[in-house]
Amino acid sequence: MQFDIGIWIAALLTLGIISFLYKDNVIYKVSEAIFVGVSAGFWFISLFWDNIYRKFWVGVFPDPTSGKEPQYILFGGVLLGVLMLSRLFGNKAGWISRWPLAFIVGATAGLKMITFLASNAVAQINATVGNFVAAVAAPTFAGLVTASTVTIGTFCGLVYFFFSKEHKGWFGGLAQVGTWVLMITFGASFGYTVMSRMSLLLGRIDFLLSDWLHLIK
Amino acid sequence: MTAKLYTTITAITITALSLLLLLIAAPHALLAQSDAVAESPDSATTAVAQVPDLGPILITVEDFPSDAGEALIIGWEDPGYVSLPDFIEYRVTRYTDDSDNGMVIGTSVLNPEVIDGEASHSIAHSYTVAAVFPDHEVISARSEPAMAEIQWVAADKYAVIIIGIFVCAAVIFFIETAKRGKTLFLRRIAGLEAIDEAVGRATEMGRPILFVAGIQDMDDVQTLAGLTILGRVARTVAQYDSKINMPCRASLVMTAGREVIKEAYNVAGRPDAYSDDMVHYVTDEQFGFVAATNGIMVREKPATCFYLGAFFAESLILAETGNSIEAIQIAGTAMPAQLPFFVAACDYTLIGEELFAASAYLSEEPRQLGSLKGQDVGKALAMIAIVVGGISVTLAQAWDIGLFQVIESALRTAFNIQLPVR
Amino acid sequence: MKRQIPLIIIMTVGWVLMVSVFVPPFESWGEEASLFFDIIAVFAFFLGGGNLIRVHFTKINRKSEGWGFSVVTVAGFAVMLILGLFKIGGSISAPVDTAGTPFELMFRYVMSPLQATMYSLLAFYVASASYRAFRARNIEATILLIAAFVILLGRTPFGFYLTAWIPESFSILEIPNMAVWIMNSPNLAGQRAIMIGIALGVISMSLRLLLGIERSYLGGD
Repeated sequence: MQFDIGIWIAALLTLGIISFLYKDNVIYKVSEAIFVGVSAGFWFISLFWDNIYRKFWVGVFPDPTSGKEPQYILFGGVLLGVLMLSRLFGNKAGWISRWPLAFIVGATAGLKMITFLASNAVAQINATVGNFVAAVAAPTFAGLVTASTVTIGTFCGLVYFFFSKEHKGWFGGLAQVGTWVLMITFGASFGYTVMSRMSLLLGRIDFLLSDWLHLIK
Repeated sequence: MTAKLYTTITAITITALSLLLLLIAAPHALLAQSDAVAESPDSATTAVAQVPDLGPILITVEDFPSDAGEALIIGWEDPGYVSLPDFIEYRVTRYTDDSDNGMVIGTSVLNPEVIDGEASHSIAHSYTVAAVFPDHEVISARSEPAMAEIQWVAADKYAVIIIGIFVCAAVIFFIETAKRGKTLFLRRIAGLEAIDEAVGRATEMGRPILFVAGIQDMDDVQTLAGLTILGRVARTVAQYDSKINMPCRASLVMTAGREVIKEAYNVAGRPDAYSDDMVHYVTDEQFGFVAATNGIMVREKPATCFYLGAFFAESLILAETGNSIEAIQIAGTAMPAQLPFFVAACDYTLIGEELFAASAYLSEEPRQLGSLKGQDVGKALAMIAIVVGGISVTLAQAWDIGLFQVIESALRTAFNIQLPVR
Repeated sequence: MKRQIPLIIIMTVGWVLMVSVFVPPFESWGEEASLFFDIIAVFAFFLGGGNLIRVHFTKINRKSEGWGFSVVTVAGFAVMLILGLFKIGGSISAPVDTAGTPFELMFRYVMSPLQATMYSLLAFYVASASYRAFRARNIEATILLIAAFVILLGRTPFGFYLTAWIPESFSILEIPNMAVWIMNSPNLAGQRAIMIGIALGVISMSLRLLLGIERSYLGGD
């Protein structure tokens, strides 16, 4: 049997993590410590080469043969980044680090608001009414039942999320139907995911039995 | 103890059964794949030497709508070359002057259209389209020179603009109404009412509180929502003199988390009790973060765990570990795929919109509460559109009632809904 | 001052970027803001990474419980930094994750199996969560479980064999067909309600931020 140190390390770490299912133990703690240290380093290196070198440095000083214009505006990002480090100087200057945070919060709020409005709200209303249009245009019993279920279900689901009215009486009834629709949705997602999660475990078992122990080919 | 043992045995049994199901399913999937391969027909390889003259290829060049003057749409009429056996593709070439030095900007086989995404709004371009065969090309005449045009308003987003203005106006209207002192009714949300109780429980038990603001960075609104709720939780923690531990996956979240908790301790009148160590960075790696947070959970045994923000696959790992230490768990996320796991494994779950509403609820500030009323107006708009849309479509199409045809048409225009091709 | 300037930044950046989405020549501003964010995140890592080192060095210094694990963490962190920053074992002009470099080997044999195994634990947790839902004897949990069970069975040959005897005219009652119907009807309805709600939640939250009503994340004066 060929001895491959890399596979052995991978196998021992795999067993270390799985051992957590029994209880917290020394092997898990070692695996966890390695995982945290190595992955933190890995991510810093990835961010450094990808964001600072590839996006900033190459953006500001592009290869002359590429014909790309230098993006001097990226110095703005570096300036904000440097301001972030003001936290290292304690309370006296630390509050300046709120400026880059404010930039991020402002940009996130402004951009995500429109993204969600377009992709979640308008697109979903569009799709719901659109389904009905399609079902009525070429009516079949099954098609109409499906389109009606989707329409009524979406309506009742939205009633559940209403904050301004107590879930009582007829409104409470609709909200209750909305709750059931949400539960079916959650159940469907749950059931849909189970098999893929099992296949992940099979993947690790396969690694241990074939790559490491060579028990199966 | 017995219940725990029972749970473990059942979990293992269900896992084993599911694995068995998967093992049974796998050969079927493989068989299905091999059947599909066996059924796929051999590609036709007949050769035709001569390309018949089917007539000229007529080109149209149009400006790409709603862009910054960077694209042109080159379309053509296929005289029938596509259906010839040796036809390879249509090739579109761009020329920026009268010379023959053109640049191929795209190819297409069936769709008679290519978008030139690098067209200029200051230099005119002309184009040719060639039907390409193995050793022959049928080339169109050059199109008239055309330039891309800059549009200053994205006309394709008008539905978003109108609905956005309506919803924003509703939110701002109710914020202003609340500011003037009008009392607004809002129903209770169980998960939010449980927060004080959960913090109190941790204090009584002398155990800390774990707060995870999701695993995304500050550029996710869910993280911002989690952090705003953190403010209220931390204030209660400070008042009760309890302990809070907040592991972070992103450094920026750590920085913002510290600001939030520090301010909460200030507001609670206990600034000296605050320490930066309450919030700490772990690693940017998703599962590395989970491994460490799991470790914190089983070692520190927090009495209450909050998971409020954007979560992915780790949602269930965290929630089940929290269950194993018998912590009270309050979760909230707007990731639809993770909600089922939080619902199944946590004591309270803030579902989607409730996560964003939580900070407003908890603040008890009239202006914030007013914004929730405005949100409801948006919901009412969506509900009306769905119901009126459904009814008018049925009445307009099934019974040809004129009024409903008008409503249906207006709705389709507003939401940009295409009629199906019959 | 400490809160006013950040508030002005939030409002200016937020409203300008929001409007830019609807003005094609300025549409790319959102992408540039995202580049700014990427760059800021690297600088912020100095704070995060610094915190990681400080926390673990403190444990080591104080010989706190489990300080040995902190040594392992710091060592792993340092090794990756040295291997990656100086591209040890690889060409300086090649990408840092070039196959065969020590940095890439650390990823392949240490990080990758750890990630995959942590992820695979979900197989057990999904099972225990199912059992938990099973024990919760209320109508909502029952509906959730039934839907999950139908979808689960519908995705396996078992589901087909179990209900293959059902006559053609009642084929909707066959488990695979029921699974498809659940996915395309009530499931879709629930997803849509959740997504529309989320959109409205995000709009309202963003407005609170942009109007300066919600400002707890900025800290105090």
